[in-house]
Amino acid sequence: MKRVFSSITDGRGFDLVLVGVPFTFLLALSGLPLLYNILMSFQEVDMFSLGSVIRPFVGFKNYVDLFTQPETMSILRNTIVFVVGSITGQFLVGFALALFFWINFPGASWLRGLFLVSWVMPGLVVGAIWNWILSGDFGVLNFLLQQTGLMSGNIFWRSDPNFSLWAVILANIWLGTSFNMILLATGLAAIPADLYEAAEMDGANAWQRFWTITLPMMRSTIGAIIALGLIFTLQQFDLFAAITDGGPNNSSNVAQYWAWDLSFRQYDFGKGATISVIMTVFVMFAATVYVRSTRHEVRG
Amino acid sequence: MSDNARNRLLLALSIVMAAIYLFPLYWMYVTALKSGSEMFATPPTFWPSSAQWRTFAYVWESRNMGRYLWNSTVIAFGAVALIAILGTGCAYVLARYRNIWVDIGLFLILMFQVLPASLMITPIFVGFSQLGLLEYPRLAVILAITAKSMPFFVVLVRATFMAVPMELEEAALVDGNSRIGAFFNIVLPLARNGILVSAILIFMQAFGEFVYSKSMIQDIQLQPASVGLNSFMGPNTSEWNNIMAYATMYVTPILAIFVLLQRRIVSGLTSGALK
Repeated sequence: MKRVFSSITDGRGFDLVLVGVPFTFLLALSGLPLLYNILMSFQEVDMFSLGSVIRPFVGFKNYVDLFTQPETMSILRNTIVFVVGSITGQFLVGFALALFFWINFPGASWLRGLFLVSWVMPGLVVGAIWNWILSGDFGVLNFLLQQTGLMSGNIFWRSDPNFSLWAVILANIWLGTSFNMILLATGLAAIPADLYEAAEMDGANAWQRFWTITLPMMRSTIGAIIALGLIFTLQQFDLFAAITDGGPNNSSNVAQYWAWDLSFRQYDFGKGATISVIMTVFVMFAATVYVRSTRHEVRG
Repeated sequence: MSDNARNRLLLALSIVMAAIYLFPLYWMYVTALKSGSEMFATPPTFWPSSAQWRTFAYVWESRNMGRYLWNSTVIAFGAVALIAILGTGCAYVLARYRNIWVDIGLFLILMFQVLPASLMITPIFVGFSQLGLLEYPRLAVILAITAKSMPFFVVLVRATFMAVPMELEEAALVDGNSRIGAFFNIVLPLARNGILVSAILIFMQAFGEFVYSKSMIQDIQLQPASVGLNSFMGPNTSEWNNIMAYATMYVTPILAIFVLLQRRIVSGLTSGALK
Protein backbone atom coordinates (compact mmCIF):
# COMPACT_ATOMS: atom_id res chain seq x y z
CA MET A 1 0.00 0.00 0.00
CA LYS A 2 2.76 2.37 0.94
CA ARG A 3 4.64 1.58 -2.24
CA VAL A 4 1.57 2.31 -4.36
CA PHE A 5 1.13 5.63 -2.58
CA SER A 6 4.73 6.66 -3.02
CA SER A 7 4.58 5.72 -6.69
CA ILE A 8 1.60 8.02 -7.09
CA THR A 9 3.32 10.96 -5.41
CA ASP A 10 6.77 10.38 -6.83
CA GLY A 11 6.97 7.94 -9.69
CA ARG A 12 5.36 6.22 -12.60
CA GLY A 13 2.01 6.14 -10.80
CA PHE A 14 1.84 9.93 -10.88
CA ASP A 15 1.71 9.94 -14.69
CA LEU A 16 -0.69 7.03 -14.79
CA VAL A 17 -3.18 8.75 -12.47
CA LEU A 18 -2.94 12.05 -14.34
CA VAL A 19 -3.66 10.39 -17.66
CA GLY A 20 -5.84 7.55 -16.43
CA VAL A 21 -8.62 9.55 -14.78
CA PRO A 22 -9.39 11.81 -17.77
CA PHE A 23 -9.25 8.91 -20.20
CA THR A 24 -11.62 6.89 -18.03
CA PHE A 25 -13.96 9.88 -18.03
CA LEU A 26 -13.74 10.29 -21.80
CA LEU A 27 -14.22 6.59 -22.47
CA ALA A 28 -17.27 6.56 -20.19
CA LEU A 29 -18.88 9.70 -21.61
CA SER A 30 -17.80 9.57 -25.27
CA GLY A 31 -16.61 6.03 -25.94
CA LEU A 32 -19.55 4.24 -24.35
CA PRO A 33 -22.19 6.48 -26.00
CA LEU A 34 -20.53 5.72 -29.31
CA LEU A 35 -20.98 1.98 -28.76
CA TYR A 36 -24.44 2.49 -27.29
CA ASN A 37 -25.36 4.38 -30.45
CA ILE A 38 -24.42 1.41 -32.59
CA LEU A 39 -26.48 -0.89 -30.35
CA MET A 40 -29.51 1.41 -30.52
CA SER A 41 -29.30 1.63 -34.30
CA PHE A 42 -30.22 -2.07 -34.35
CA GLN A 43 -33.06 -1.68 -31.86
CA GLU A 44 -36.47 -0.12 -31.78
CA VAL A 45 -36.19 2.73 -29.30
CA ASP A 46 -39.12 5.01 -28.54
CA MET A 47 -40.51 6.81 -25.52
CA PHE A 48 -41.81 3.57 -24.00
CA SER A 49 -38.67 1.47 -24.27
CA LEU A 50 -36.43 4.39 -23.31
CA GLY A 51 -35.84 3.08 -19.79
CA SER A 52 -34.79 -0.48 -20.57
CA VAL A 53 -31.55 -1.70 -22.14
CA ILE A 54 -33.16 -4.89 -23.51
CA ARG A 55 -35.30 -3.68 -26.34
CA PRO A 56 -36.79 -5.38 -29.39
CA PHE A 57 -33.93 -6.17 -31.74
CA VAL A 58 -34.82 -5.27 -35.30
CA GLY A 59 -31.65 -6.03 -37.25
CA PHE A 60 -31.04 -3.67 -40.14
CA LYS A 61 -34.62 -2.45 -40.21
CA ASN A 62 -33.70 1.11 -39.15
CA TYR A 63 -31.09 1.33 -41.89
CA VAL A 64 -33.41 -0.10 -44.55
CA ASP A 65 -36.32 2.12 -43.46
CA LEU A 66 -34.18 5.23 -43.58
CA PHE A 67 -33.00 4.64 -47.11
CA THR A 68 -36.51 3.95 -48.37
CA GLN A 69 -37.87 7.17 -46.88
CA PRO A 70 -38.47 9.75 -49.61
CA GLU A 71 -36.73 12.64 -47.83
CA THR A 72 -33.49 10.77 -47.13
CA MET A 73 -31.87 11.33 -50.50
CA SER A 74 -32.65 15.05 -50.57
CA ILE A 75 -31.33 15.48 -47.02
CA LEU A 76 -28.11 13.68 -47.89
CA ARG A 77 -27.79 15.82 -51.02
CA ASN A 78 -28.35 18.92 -48.86
CA THR A 79 -25.60 17.75 -46.51
CA ILE A 80 -23.15 17.45 -49.39
CA VAL A 81 -24.14 20.87 -50.80
CA PHE A 82 -23.84 22.40 -47.33
CA VAL A 83 -20.40 20.91 -46.68
CA VAL A 84 -18.95 21.67 -50.12
CA GLY A 85 -20.50 25.16 -50.31
CA SER A 86 -19.42 26.13 -46.80
CA ILE A 87 -15.87 24.81 -47.10
CA THR A 88 -15.33 26.37 -50.54
CA GLY A 89 -16.60 29.75 -49.43
CA GLN A 90 -14.75 29.77 -46.11
CA PHE A 91 -11.53 28.64 -47.70
CA LEU A 92 -11.52 31.03 -50.67
CA VAL A 93 -12.49 34.12 -48.67
CA GLY A 94 -10.21 33.07 -45.80
CA PHE A 95 -7.25 32.49 -48.13
CA ALA A 96 -7.76 35.82 -49.89
CA LEU A 97 -7.85 37.64 -46.54
CA ALA A 98 -4.83 35.73 -45.25
CA LEU A 99 -2.84 36.66 -48.37
CA PHE A 100 -3.82 40.29 -47.98
CA PHE A 101 -2.85 40.46 -44.31
CA TRP A 102 0.39 38.66 -45.12
CA ILE A 103 1.66 41.98 -46.47
CA ASN A 104 3.29 43.48 -43.44
CA PHE A 105 1.95 46.84 -42.34
CA PRO A 106 1.45 48.35 -38.88
CA GLY A 107 -1.76 47.12 -37.30
CA ALA A 108 -2.08 44.10 -39.60
CA SER A 109 -1.96 41.40 -36.93
CA TRP A 110 -4.31 43.24 -34.60
CA LEU A 111 -6.93 43.83 -37.31
CA ARG A 112 -6.56 40.24 -38.47
CA GLY A 113 -7.27 39.01 -34.97
CA LEU A 114 -10.40 41.13 -34.82
CA PHE A 115 -11.98 38.93 -37.50
CA LEU A 116 -12.03 36.09 -35.02
CA VAL A 117 -14.99 37.57 -33.11
CA SER A 118 -17.24 35.55 -35.39
CA TRP A 119 -15.66 32.43 -33.95
CA VAL A 120 -16.14 33.23 -30.27
CA MET A 121 -19.79 34.28 -30.56
CA PRO A 122 -22.46 31.76 -29.54
CA GLY A 123 -23.81 30.03 -32.64
CA LEU A 124 -27.37 30.90 -31.67
CA VAL A 125 -26.54 34.62 -31.62
CA VAL A 126 -24.85 34.41 -35.03
CA GLY A 127 -27.91 32.60 -36.32
CA ALA A 128 -30.30 35.20 -34.86
CA ILE A 129 -28.38 38.06 -36.47
CA TRP A 130 -28.30 36.38 -39.87
CA ASN A 131 -31.94 35.44 -39.57
CA TRP A 132 -32.73 39.14 -39.29
CA ILE A 133 -30.28 40.20 -42.01
CA LEU A 134 -31.74 37.60 -44.40
CA SER A 135 -35.35 38.49 -43.67
CA GLY A 136 -37.38 38.72 -46.89
CA ASP A 137 -39.29 41.98 -46.60
CA PHE A 138 -37.15 44.03 -44.25
CA GLY A 139 -33.78 42.30 -44.43
CA VAL A 140 -30.79 44.53 -44.97
CA LEU A 141 -29.13 42.06 -47.35
CA ASN A 142 -31.99 42.27 -49.84
CA PHE A 143 -31.82 46.06 -49.60
CA LEU A 144 -28.06 46.14 -50.25
CA LEU A 145 -28.32 43.70 -53.16
CA GLN A 146 -30.99 45.87 -54.77
CA GLN A 147 -29.06 49.09 -54.18
CA THR A 148 -26.00 47.67 -55.89
CA GLY A 149 -28.21 46.53 -58.77
CA LEU A 150 -27.42 42.84 -58.35
CA MET A 151 -31.10 41.91 -58.32
CA SER A 152 -34.51 43.50 -58.67
CA GLY A 153 -37.02 41.64 -56.44
CA ASN A 154 -36.80 40.46 -52.87
CA ILE A 155 -35.39 37.00 -52.19
CA PHE A 156 -37.20 35.21 -49.38
CA TRP A 157 -34.04 33.56 -48.13
CA ARG A 158 -35.57 31.60 -45.29
CA SER A 159 -38.91 30.54 -46.72
CA ASP A 160 -38.04 29.93 -50.39
CA PRO A 161 -37.00 26.25 -50.75
CA ASN A 162 -34.52 27.26 -53.46
CA PHE A 163 -32.64 29.57 -51.12
CA SER A 164 -33.16 28.29 -47.57
CA LEU A 165 -30.10 26.02 -47.59
CA TRP A 166 -28.01 28.84 -49.05
CA ALA A 167 -29.15 31.14 -46.28
CA VAL A 168 -27.53 28.82 -43.75
CA ILE A 169 -24.47 28.32 -45.95
CA LEU A 170 -24.01 32.09 -46.16
CA ALA A 171 -24.11 32.42 -42.37
CA ASN A 172 -21.77 29.46 -41.98
CA ILE A 173 -19.26 30.93 -44.43
CA TRP A 174 -19.24 34.12 -42.38
CA LEU A 175 -18.76 32.10 -39.22
CA GLY A 176 -15.88 29.95 -40.50
CA THR A 177 -13.96 32.41 -42.69
CA SER A 178 -12.02 33.94 -39.82
CA PHE A 179 -10.86 30.57 -38.52
CA ASN A 180 -9.64 29.58 -41.98
CA MET A 181 -7.89 32.91 -42.36
CA ILE A 182 -6.03 32.70 -39.03
CA LEU A 183 -4.80 29.16 -39.66
CA LEU A 184 -3.80 29.91 -43.26
CA ALA A 185 -1.95 33.02 -42.05
CA THR A 186 0.04 30.82 -39.66
CA GLY A 187 0.94 28.54 -42.56
CA LEU A 188 1.99 31.49 -44.75
CA ALA A 189 4.20 32.91 -42.02
CA ALA A 190 6.10 29.61 -41.87
CA ILE A 191 7.26 29.75 -45.51
CA PRO A 192 10.95 30.78 -45.58
CA ALA A 193 11.34 34.26 -47.10
CA ASP A 194 14.54 33.40 -48.99
CA LEU A 195 12.56 31.15 -51.34
CA TYR A 196 10.76 34.24 -52.61
CA GLU A 197 13.97 36.24 -52.82
CA ALA A 198 15.55 33.52 -54.95
CA ALA A 199 12.49 33.31 -57.20
CA GLU A 200 12.46 37.06 -57.63
CA MET A 201 16.10 37.03 -58.67
CA ASP A 202 15.26 34.40 -61.26
CA GLY A 203 12.59 36.76 -62.62
CA ALA A 204 9.42 34.98 -61.46
CA ASN A 205 6.41 37.28 -61.30
CA ALA A 206 3.91 37.37 -58.43
CA TRP A 207 1.53 34.94 -60.13
CA GLN A 208 4.32 32.40 -60.79
CA ARG A 209 5.61 32.75 -57.24
CA PHE A 210 2.13 32.01 -55.91
CA TRP A 211 1.71 28.84 -57.99
CA THR A 212 5.25 27.48 -57.65
CA ILE A 213 6.11 28.44 -54.05
CA THR A 214 3.10 29.46 -51.96
CA LEU A 215 0.68 26.71 -52.95
CA PRO A 216 3.16 23.79 -52.85
CA MET A 217 4.59 24.97 -49.52
CA MET A 218 1.10 25.28 -48.08
CA ARG A 219 -0.03 21.82 -49.16
CA SER A 220 -0.10 20.18 -45.74
CA THR A 221 -1.66 23.27 -44.09
CA ILE A 222 -4.38 23.38 -46.75
CA GLY A 223 -5.06 19.66 -46.30
CA ALA A 224 -5.38 20.11 -42.55
CA ILE A 225 -7.68 23.12 -42.94
CA ILE A 226 -9.99 21.41 -45.43
CA ALA A 227 -10.25 18.44 -43.07
CA LEU A 228 -10.91 20.74 -40.11
CA GLY A 229 -13.52 22.57 -42.21
CA LEU A 230 -15.25 19.26 -42.92
CA ILE A 231 -15.25 18.43 -39.22
CA PHE A 232 -16.62 21.85 -38.23
CA THR A 233 -19.32 21.95 -40.94
CA LEU A 234 -20.57 18.52 -39.91
CA GLN A 235 -20.78 19.84 -36.34
CA GLN A 236 -22.86 22.86 -37.35
CA PHE A 237 -26.23 22.70 -35.67
CA ASP A 238 -26.98 26.06 -34.05
CA LEU A 239 -27.35 27.95 -37.34
CA PHE A 240 -30.02 25.55 -38.56
CA ALA A 241 -31.89 25.86 -35.28
CA ALA A 242 -31.73 29.65 -35.43
CA ILE A 243 -32.30 30.39 -39.14
CA THR A 244 -34.48 27.84 -40.97
CA ASP A 245 -35.18 25.00 -38.54
CA GLY A 246 -34.48 22.63 -41.43
CA GLY A 247 -37.47 23.90 -43.37
CA PRO A 248 -39.41 24.69 -45.38
CA ASN A 249 -40.30 21.08 -46.05
CA ASN A 250 -36.78 19.75 -45.33
CA SER A 251 -35.29 21.92 -48.08
CA SER A 252 -32.55 23.09 -45.72
CA ASN A 253 -32.32 19.98 -43.57
CA VAL A 254 -28.97 18.24 -43.22
CA ALA A 255 -28.02 14.91 -41.68
CA GLN A 256 -26.74 16.18 -38.34
CA TYR A 257 -29.87 18.29 -37.79
CA TRP A 258 -32.14 15.49 -38.97
CA ALA A 259 -30.56 13.04 -36.50
CA TRP A 260 -31.49 15.36 -33.65
CA ASP A 261 -34.94 16.00 -35.12
CA LEU A 262 -35.69 12.27 -35.37
CA SER A 263 -34.69 11.68 -31.76
CA PHE A 264 -36.06 14.74 -30.01
CA ARG A 265 -39.04 15.83 -32.10
CA GLN A 266 -40.29 12.52 -33.49
CA TYR A 267 -39.03 10.48 -30.51
CA ASP A 268 -37.66 7.80 -32.83
CA PHE A 269 -34.35 7.36 -31.04
CA GLY A 270 -33.49 4.23 -33.03
CA LYS A 271 -33.51 6.11 -36.33
CA GLY A 272 -31.75 9.10 -34.79
CA ALA A 273 -29.02 6.73 -33.62
CA THR A 274 -28.81 5.17 -37.08
CA ILE A 275 -28.16 8.51 -38.80
CA SER A 276 -25.67 9.38 -36.07
CA VAL A 277 -23.73 6.16 -36.64
CA ILE A 278 -23.52 6.80 -40.38
CA MET A 279 -22.40 10.40 -39.91
CA THR A 280 -19.89 9.50 -37.19
CA VAL A 281 -18.12 7.27 -39.71
CA PHE A 282 -17.73 10.26 -42.06
CA VAL A 283 -16.46 12.53 -39.29
CA MET A 284 -13.89 9.97 -38.17
CA PHE A 285 -12.73 9.61 -41.75
CA ALA A 286 -12.19 13.39 -41.91
CA ALA A 287 -10.32 13.26 -38.61
CA THR A 288 -7.98 10.60 -39.99
CA VAL A 289 -7.24 12.80 -43.01
CA TYR A 290 -6.51 15.66 -40.60
CA VAL A 291 -4.12 13.52 -38.57
CA ARG A 292 -2.31 12.43 -41.72
CA SER A 293 -1.80 15.99 -42.94
CA THR A 294 -0.46 17.20 -39.59
CA ARG A 295 1.32 13.95 -38.76
CA HIS A 296 4.85 15.27 -38.81
CA GLU A 297 3.79 17.91 -36.29
CA VAL A 298 1.69 15.64 -34.07
CA ARG A 299 4.60 13.26 -33.65
CA GLY A 300 6.67 16.36 -32.92
CA MET B 1 5.04 55.53 -53.32
CA SER B 2 6.75 56.04 -50.00
CA ASP B 3 6.55 53.35 -47.34
CA ASN B 4 4.46 55.57 -45.14
CA ALA B 5 1.79 56.25 -47.74
CA ARG B 6 1.70 52.57 -48.67
CA ASN B 7 1.20 51.56 -45.05
CA ARG B 8 -1.61 54.04 -44.62
CA LEU B 9 -3.35 52.87 -47.79
CA LEU B 10 -3.09 49.23 -46.68
CA LEU B 11 -4.35 50.08 -43.23
CA ALA B 12 -7.35 51.95 -44.68
CA LEU B 13 -8.09 49.05 -47.02
CA SER B 14 -7.93 46.51 -44.20
CA ILE B 15 -10.17 48.62 -41.99
CA VAL B 16 -12.74 48.71 -44.79
CA MET B 17 -12.55 44.92 -45.09
CA ALA B 18 -12.88 44.44 -41.33
CA ALA B 19 -15.86 46.81 -41.34
CA ILE B 20 -17.60 44.80 -44.06
CA TYR B 21 -16.86 41.57 -42.24
CA LEU B 22 -18.07 42.87 -38.90
CA PHE B 23 -21.20 44.47 -40.36
CA PRO B 24 -23.54 41.75 -38.95
CA LEU B 25 -22.29 42.60 -35.47
CA TYR B 26 -22.89 46.31 -36.10
CA TRP B 27 -26.35 45.52 -37.42
CA MET B 28 -27.17 43.70 -34.19
CA TYR B 29 -26.27 46.74 -32.07
CA VAL B 30 -28.05 49.22 -34.36
CA THR B 31 -31.23 47.15 -34.56
CA ALA B 32 -31.29 46.77 -30.79
CA LEU B 33 -31.39 50.56 -30.47
CA LYS B 34 -34.13 51.17 -33.05
CA SER B 35 -37.77 51.68 -32.21
CA GLY B 36 -40.44 49.18 -33.24
CA SER B 37 -41.41 51.17 -36.33
CA GLU B 38 -37.94 52.31 -37.34
CA MET B 39 -36.57 48.81 -37.73
CA PHE B 40 -39.13 48.08 -40.48
CA ALA B 41 -38.44 51.31 -42.36
CA THR B 42 -37.64 51.10 -46.06
CA PRO B 43 -34.98 52.05 -46.90
CA PRO B 44 -33.46 50.87 -43.61
CA THR B 45 -31.66 53.45 -41.54
CA PHE B 46 -28.02 52.73 -40.76
CA TRP B 47 -27.99 54.86 -37.66
CA PRO B 48 -30.91 54.89 -35.15
CA SER B 49 -32.76 58.21 -35.31
CA SER B 50 -33.53 58.16 -31.59
CA ALA B 51 -31.78 55.46 -29.60
CA GLN B 52 -34.19 53.40 -27.50
CA TRP B 53 -32.10 52.49 -24.47
CA ARG B 54 -35.22 51.37 -22.60
CA THR B 55 -35.48 48.28 -24.82
CA PHE B 56 -32.63 46.69 -22.87
CA ALA B 57 -34.32 47.11 -19.50
CA TYR B 58 -37.63 45.92 -20.95
CA VAL B 59 -36.12 42.76 -22.49
CA TRP B 60 -34.05 42.05 -19.38
CA GLU B 61 -37.20 42.17 -17.25
CA SER B 62 -39.72 40.54 -19.54
CA ARG B 63 -37.50 37.66 -20.69
CA ASN B 64 -36.05 37.13 -17.23
CA MET B 65 -32.55 37.34 -18.65
CA GLY B 66 -30.85 37.41 -15.28
CA ARG B 67 -31.96 33.85 -14.66
CA TYR B 68 -30.90 32.66 -18.16
CA LEU B 69 -27.46 34.25 -17.91
CA TRP B 70 -26.99 32.86 -14.40
CA ASN B 71 -27.71 29.36 -15.70
CA SER B 72 -25.30 29.87 -18.60
CA THR B 73 -22.66 31.00 -16.13
CA VAL B 74 -23.22 28.04 -13.80
CA ILE B 75 -22.98 25.58 -16.68
CA ALA B 76 -19.91 27.25 -18.20
CA PHE B 77 -18.06 27.51 -14.87
CA GLY B 78 -18.89 23.94 -13.95
CA ALA B 79 -17.66 22.64 -17.27
CA VAL B 80 -14.47 24.73 -17.23
CA ALA B 81 -13.63 23.68 -13.67
CA LEU B 82 -14.09 19.99 -14.45
CA ILE B 83 -12.18 20.28 -17.72
CA ALA B 84 -9.27 22.15 -16.11
CA ILE B 85 -8.95 19.65 -13.26
CA LEU B 86 -9.08 16.60 -15.52
CA GLY B 87 -7.43 18.00 -18.63
CA THR B 88 -4.34 19.79 -17.29
CA GLY B 89 -2.67 16.67 -15.92
CA CYS B 90 -3.56 14.73 -19.03
CA ALA B 91 -2.00 17.39 -21.26
CA TYR B 92 1.12 17.43 -19.08
CA VAL B 93 1.73 13.69 -19.40
CA LEU B 94 1.03 13.74 -23.15
CA ALA B 95 3.56 16.57 -23.54
CA ARG B 96 6.25 15.04 -21.34
CA TYR B 97 6.75 11.72 -23.07
CA ARG B 98 7.25 10.52 -26.65
CA ASN B 99 6.28 6.96 -27.24
CA ILE B 100 3.71 4.83 -28.98
CA TRP B 101 1.25 5.12 -26.08
CA VAL B 102 1.33 8.89 -26.24
CA ASP B 103 0.65 8.70 -29.99
CA ILE B 104 -2.31 6.42 -29.38
CA GLY B 105 -3.57 8.73 -26.63
CA LEU B 106 -3.33 11.77 -28.90
CA PHE B 107 -5.18 9.95 -31.64
CA LEU B 108 -7.97 8.99 -29.23
CA ILE B 109 -8.15 12.58 -27.96
CA LEU B 110 -8.54 13.83 -31.50
CA MET B 111 -11.27 11.28 -32.28
CA PHE B 112 -13.20 12.36 -29.17
CA GLN B 113 -12.72 15.99 -30.16
CA VAL B 114 -14.35 15.71 -33.56
CA LEU B 115 -17.56 13.91 -32.52
CA PRO B 116 -20.43 16.33 -33.29
CA ALA B 117 -22.63 17.16 -30.31
CA SER B 118 -25.82 16.79 -32.34
CA LEU B 119 -24.91 13.18 -33.12
CA MET B 120 -23.73 12.31 -29.60
CA ILE B 121 -26.80 13.73 -27.90
CA THR B 122 -29.01 10.74 -28.80
CA PRO B 123 -27.00 8.08 -26.92
CA ILE B 124 -26.02 10.49 -24.14
CA PHE B 125 -29.65 11.47 -23.58
CA VAL B 126 -30.89 7.87 -23.50
CA GLY B 127 -28.01 6.74 -21.31
CA PHE B 128 -28.37 9.65 -18.87
CA SER B 129 -32.12 9.10 -18.60
CA GLN B 130 -31.50 5.44 -17.71
CA LEU B 131 -28.95 6.44 -15.07
CA GLY B 132 -31.37 9.02 -13.65
CA LEU B 133 -28.93 11.84 -14.37
CA LEU B 134 -31.61 13.89 -16.11
CA GLU B 135 -33.01 14.64 -12.65
CA TYR B 136 -30.06 17.02 -12.38
CA PRO B 137 -30.19 18.53 -15.87
CA ARG B 138 -27.51 21.19 -15.41
CA LEU B 139 -25.07 18.62 -14.06
CA ALA B 140 -25.92 16.37 -17.01
CA VAL B 141 -25.14 19.21 -19.44
CA ILE B 142 -21.88 19.99 -17.61
CA LEU B 143 -20.79 16.37 -17.91
CA ALA B 144 -21.70 16.26 -21.61
CA ILE B 145 -19.87 19.52 -22.35
CA THR B 146 -16.84 18.29 -20.43
CA ALA B 147 -16.65 15.15 -22.55
CA LYS B 148 -17.04 17.24 -25.70
CA SER B 149 -14.60 20.08 -24.92
CA MET B 150 -11.90 18.47 -22.79
CA PRO B 151 -10.00 17.06 -25.81
CA PHE B 152 -9.69 20.56 -27.29
CA PHE B 153 -8.41 21.87 -23.95
CA VAL B 154 -5.87 19.04 -23.76
CA VAL B 155 -4.59 19.82 -27.25
CA LEU B 156 -4.20 23.53 -26.44
CA VAL B 157 -2.59 23.06 -23.03
CA ARG B 158 -0.29 20.33 -24.30
CA ALA B 159 1.21 22.90 -26.69
CA THR B 160 1.86 25.12 -23.65
CA PHE B 161 3.56 22.35 -21.68
CA MET B 162 5.76 21.54 -24.70
CA ALA B 163 7.21 25.03 -24.37
CA VAL B 164 8.19 24.51 -20.71
CA PRO B 165 11.83 23.37 -20.65
CA MET B 166 12.11 19.90 -19.17
CA GLU B 167 15.50 20.78 -17.59
CA LEU B 168 13.74 22.98 -15.04
CA GLU B 169 11.64 20.10 -13.82
CA GLU B 170 14.65 17.78 -13.74
CA ALA B 171 16.58 20.32 -11.70
CA ALA B 172 13.72 20.48 -9.20
CA LEU B 173 13.72 16.68 -8.93
CA VAL B 174 17.48 16.65 -8.31
CA ASP B 175 16.96 19.25 -5.60
CA GLY B 176 14.77 16.76 -3.75
CA ASN B 177 11.26 17.63 -4.93
CA SER B 178 8.82 14.79 -5.42
CA ARG B 179 7.06 14.47 -8.78
CA ILE B 180 3.95 16.09 -7.27
CA GLY B 181 6.02 18.90 -5.77
CA ALA B 182 7.84 19.59 -9.03
CA PHE B 183 4.58 19.57 -10.94
CA PHE B 184 2.80 22.02 -8.67
CA ASN B 185 5.76 24.28 -7.82
CA ILE B 186 7.65 24.45 -11.12
CA VAL B 187 5.72 23.20 -14.15
CA LEU B 188 2.24 24.46 -13.39
CA PRO B 189 3.25 28.08 -12.59
CA LEU B 190 5.26 28.23 -15.83
CA ALA B 191 2.29 27.05 -17.88
CA ARG B 192 -0.23 29.18 -16.02
CA ASN B 193 -0.90 31.71 -18.78
CA GLY B 194 -1.49 29.10 -21.45
CA ILE B 195 -3.84 27.17 -19.19
CA LEU B 196 -5.75 30.36 -18.37
CA VAL B 197 -6.22 31.36 -22.01
CA SER B 198 -7.36 27.86 -22.95
CA ALA B 199 -9.79 27.86 -20.04
CA ILE B 200 -11.22 31.19 -21.22
CA LEU B 201 -11.69 29.80 -24.73
CA ILE B 202 -13.51 26.79 -23.31
CA PHE B 203 -15.59 29.09 -21.12
CA MET B 204 -16.71 31.13 -24.13
CA GLN B 205 -17.71 27.97 -25.98
CA ALA B 206 -19.57 26.54 -23.01
CA PHE B 207 -21.31 29.88 -22.42
CA GLY B 208 -22.91 29.61 -25.87
CA GLU B 209 -23.58 25.87 -25.83
CA PHE B 210 -26.95 24.94 -27.27
CA VAL B 211 -27.54 21.32 -28.40
CA TYR B 212 -27.07 19.59 -25.04
CA SER B 213 -28.95 22.25 -23.06
CA LYS B 214 -31.85 22.32 -25.52
CA SER B 215 -32.23 18.53 -25.41
CA MET B 216 -31.65 17.80 -21.73
CA ILE B 217 -33.02 20.79 -19.80
CA GLN B 218 -36.83 20.84 -19.94
CA ASP B 219 -37.37 23.07 -16.88
CA ILE B 220 -37.35 26.70 -18.01
CA GLN B 221 -35.97 27.72 -14.59
CA LEU B 222 -32.73 25.90 -15.39
CA GLN B 223 -32.28 26.76 -19.06
CA PRO B 224 -29.27 28.80 -20.26
CA ALA B 225 -29.40 31.94 -22.41
CA SER B 226 -28.90 30.09 -25.71
CA VAL B 227 -32.11 28.10 -25.18
CA GLY B 228 -33.84 31.27 -24.04
CA LEU B 229 -32.85 33.04 -27.26
CA ASN B 230 -34.10 30.07 -29.28
CA SER B 231 -37.52 30.14 -27.66
CA PHE B 232 -37.65 33.94 -28.05
CA MET B 233 -37.33 33.54 -31.84
CA GLY B 234 -40.64 32.04 -32.89
CA PRO B 235 -41.13 31.24 -36.59
CA ASN B 236 -43.09 34.43 -37.31
CA THR B 237 -41.57 36.85 -34.87
CA SER B 238 -41.53 40.58 -35.56
CA GLU B 239 -39.82 41.70 -32.34
CA TRP B 240 -36.42 41.96 -33.97
CA ASN B 241 -35.30 44.97 -31.94
CA ASN B 242 -36.04 43.05 -28.73
CA ILE B 243 -34.32 39.90 -29.99
CA MET B 244 -31.26 41.90 -30.99
CA ALA B 245 -31.27 43.56 -27.56
CA TYR B 246 -31.29 40.09 -26.01
CA ALA B 247 -28.45 39.01 -28.30
CA THR B 248 -26.52 42.17 -27.42
CA MET B 249 -26.73 41.57 -23.68
CA TYR B 250 -25.80 37.93 -24.18
CA VAL B 251 -22.80 38.44 -26.44
CA THR B 252 -21.25 41.73 -25.29
CA PRO B 253 -19.48 40.29 -22.19
CA ILE B 254 -17.92 37.60 -24.40
CA LEU B 255 -16.84 40.18 -26.97
CA ALA B 256 -15.31 42.35 -24.24
CA ILE B 257 -13.21 39.45 -22.95
CA PHE B 258 -12.20 38.63 -26.51
CA VAL B 259 -11.08 42.15 -27.41
CA LEU B 260 -9.09 42.43 -24.17
CA LEU B 261 -7.29 39.12 -24.62
CA GLN B 262 -7.34 39.00 -28.41
CA ARG B 263 -3.60 38.54 -29.02
CA ARG B 264 -3.25 35.70 -26.54
CA ILE B 265 -6.40 33.94 -27.70
CA VAL B 266 -5.35 34.04 -31.33
CA SER B 267 -1.86 32.70 -30.64
CA GLY B 268 -3.23 30.03 -28.32
CA LEU B 269 -5.69 28.88 -30.94
CA THR B 270 -3.19 28.62 -33.76
CA SER B 271 -0.65 26.73 -31.67
CA GLY B 272 -3.26 24.13 -30.78
CA ALA B 273 -4.87 23.50 -34.13
CA LEU B 274 -1.85 23.05 -36.37
CA LYS B 275 0.96 21.93 -34.08
